Amino acid sequence: MNTNSNTYTVIYSIILVVIVAAVLAFAAMFLKPTQDANVKKDTIGQILTAATVTGDDILAAYQQEIESAILVDINGEEVGTLNIEECEVYGNSDLKRQIAAEQKALPVYIFKNGITVVPCYGAGLWGPIWGYVGFDKDLKTIKAVRFGHKGETPGLGAKIADEPWFAEAFTGKTVGEGEILFEVAKPANRQTENNGVDAISGATITSQALGKTLDQWFGFYKNYFTKNGITAETVIDAVIDMTGELEPVVESAN
Amino acid sequence: MGNIKEAFLTPIFKGNPISVLVLGICSSLAVTVQLKGAFVMGLSVMIVTGLSSLVCSLLRNTIPNRIRIIVQLVVVALMVILVDQVLKAYAYSVSKTLSVYIGLIITNCIVMGRIEAYALGNKPFASLMDGLGNGLGYAMILVIVAFFRELFGSGTLFGFQVIPQAFFDAGYMNNGLMILPPMALILLGCIIWIQRSIQKDLQEK
Repeated sequence: MNTNSNTYTVIYSIILVVIVAAVLAFAAMFLKPTQDANVKKDTIGQILTAATVTGDDILAAYQQEIESAILVDINGEEVGTLNIEECEVYGNSDLKRQIAAEQKALPVYIFKNGITVVPCYGAGLWGPIWGYVGFDKDLKTIKAVRFGHKGETPGLGAKIADEPWFAEAFTGKTVGEGEILFEVAKPANRQTENNGVDAISGATITSQALGKTLDQWFGFYKNYFTKNGITAETVIDAVIDMTGELEPVVESAN
Repeated sequence: MGNIKEAFLTPIFKGNPISVLVLGICSSLAVTVQLKGAFVMGLSVMIVTGLSSLVCSLLRNTIPNRIRIIVQLVVVALMVILVDQVLKAYAYSVSKTLSVYIGLIITNCIVMGRIEAYALGNKPFASLMDGLGNGLGYAMILVIVAFFRELFGSGTLFGFQVIPQAFFDAGYMNNGLMILPPMALILLGCIIWIQRSIQKDLQEK
């Protein structure tokens, strides 16, 4: 047979491509459940880091340490729950959908150690970046963070996920009260002291993108934070509410 | 049989793809910070070179000459994607550290080079052996480089601490340069130097 004729070449390439596509499709279908389970486990691992929970078996540690996992809307009202038994979490595609959605369902993971973890997701320089931020009981002070990215530049933008010092810089920072909730920029360009961290040199765009993402997502959660944060003042208020009836007794004693 | 044995053994030392042919340098610089990554990368390349050489050799009499390179590329791409998918399913953490480099095996000159130079003109079994041998030669250099880089750069081997804590307490420090790509190039240079001083026929007059 003449293997150099046009007809042969065209037919040969079509058959080859169809076979290769079939093999790949089969492999993708066959391996998808295992891969999804890995991605989910990885997501839970990131949530646990933000909650400062450690454990050898990630899923078991999650089930053991989580208090509740709920979904809230933009007004901070609870609109649903995530199944803890099945380790249900919102992955990156779920988070991406919430950004544009009119009726948002934003996940909140509340742990037994008092830390509340919320996610964020946005566009970096080359692809998506995301993160998990663990808050103290006041829902203002950051305890720990874990960031991830799809394909930021290794050695520059990728440092948001790789470098421990970058994540450590977030500990103790708070969400701002004014226009700017959070920013990642060099100190000279930052508006306020405590609601921002230093950007990474050489990774300006990734740093700015991360700041914008955090600012946007903290905005989504703002109402939830104000309603549910337990600060010294709210504790005093609660005590006064509870002991309100006792006050006259105290007065009469005087 | 001698032919097949030679096809497998030559690329491991005498015709090593990295240290003699100086192919596949880029990935060997990138993935040799830790032994585990280097090991998995070496294994992946071995599987890809072996299987794609085998498939291309099986097809060698049917491939239309004008789209020869494209057909080779499709076969190599198939193998690379399969390896990538399997790693994602069964070795997720390693697949995350190796990230794009598994996908980039497709651009590794060793794979295409061996198909073009050997598999298209030889029987399937000999081609499989040639591919495996070349992959093994590549893997070997990767593991040697990674051994030194991980040992002196992080004080660990396969993630286990081997340099005792007492050394660190006494003032010993990990060499930060070892973790950076330039050191891989220097180590690679040393390996090529050693091989050339053993194998005199490689030296230019």
